[in-house]
Amino acid sequence: MMTVVIGGSKCGKSGYAEKILDSFDGKKLYIATMIPYGSEAHTAIERHREMRRNKGFETIEKYTALNEIVLSGKCAVLLECMGNLLANEMFGVGKITNPIENILSGVESLNTQAEQLVIVTNNIACDGISYESGTMEYIRNMGEINRCLCETADNVIECVYGIPLAVKGKLL
Amino acid sequence: MKMITGGAYQGKSEFVKKHFDCEILDGESCDFEKVFTAECVCNYHLLVKRLIENGHDAIAFTERLCRDNPEIIVIINEIGCGIIPLEKSERIWREQTGRAGSIIAKNSDTVVRIICGIPTVIKGEI
Repeated sequence: MMTVVIGGSKCGKSGYAEKILDSFDGKKLYIATMIPYGSEAHTAIERHREMRRNKGFETIEKYTALNEIVLSGKCAVLLECMGNLLANEMFGVGKITNPIENILSGVESLNTQAEQLVIVTNNIACDGISYESGTMEYIRNMGEINRCLCETADNVIECVYGIPLAVKGKLL
Repeated sequence: MKMITGGAYQGKSEFVKKHFDCEILDGESCDFEKVFTAECVCNYHLLVKRLIENGHDAIAFTERLCRDNPEIIVIINEIGCGIIPLEKSERIWREQTGRAGSIIAKNSDTVVRIICGIPTVIKGEI
């Protein structure tokens, strides 16, 4: 089963995504996509580590190329987050040519291998500001990725100020 | 406590005026202490901004509000659904607004989200 959790900044999407896997009785993997660069990233990573403490997650840091991940046994995957993953694929070291294809094939690979896949993604397209072309391409790519993910997903949950809303499927 | 949210200019204040008979304090310009006795405060996201600019802890303020004025109606814009701002102060404001709004939502019996003037009750009932 695949669930997408989407929302804006600090809307409780991570906490909700973790909660979905509370009752999972196999191995739980957390795929962290944020590159620990700068003090704010470190603070964010530490805050998320604290949130996950004692919830039984094994953390894998993977900043690009999700389709290289090989899972074994009965496991659930929490992938966080799509915004960072896309930024890494688009703007990271050694520019990658097909970020959308790479990401979607990686997700498909995880979805085939994991019993449960939960993906945290970001709604970044609602500030109405026109940015320079690189950022606009990022916004467009996020839109396309989110549309594709949500087409495949069984459940799509939007978080609004901590309140989860089922956009597709059901609340878990 | 009640919370009314949504994007800018979606009809949040109009919704409150239509459904509740209350005086609305403007978070963009009001005296901070007045919020603790107000019937309704609008622009809470801008109140958060002013609190930060004046060296106050917006989260502690919001927690106190939930304790001291549990009947208040809070109108707050959704501001977190965009590109991460380049300016650090803008990033802090956006994050603190997300956290403050989540505290208000948790403490509210009713949360209404308004888009194009159309309200959806996303928690409790009106």
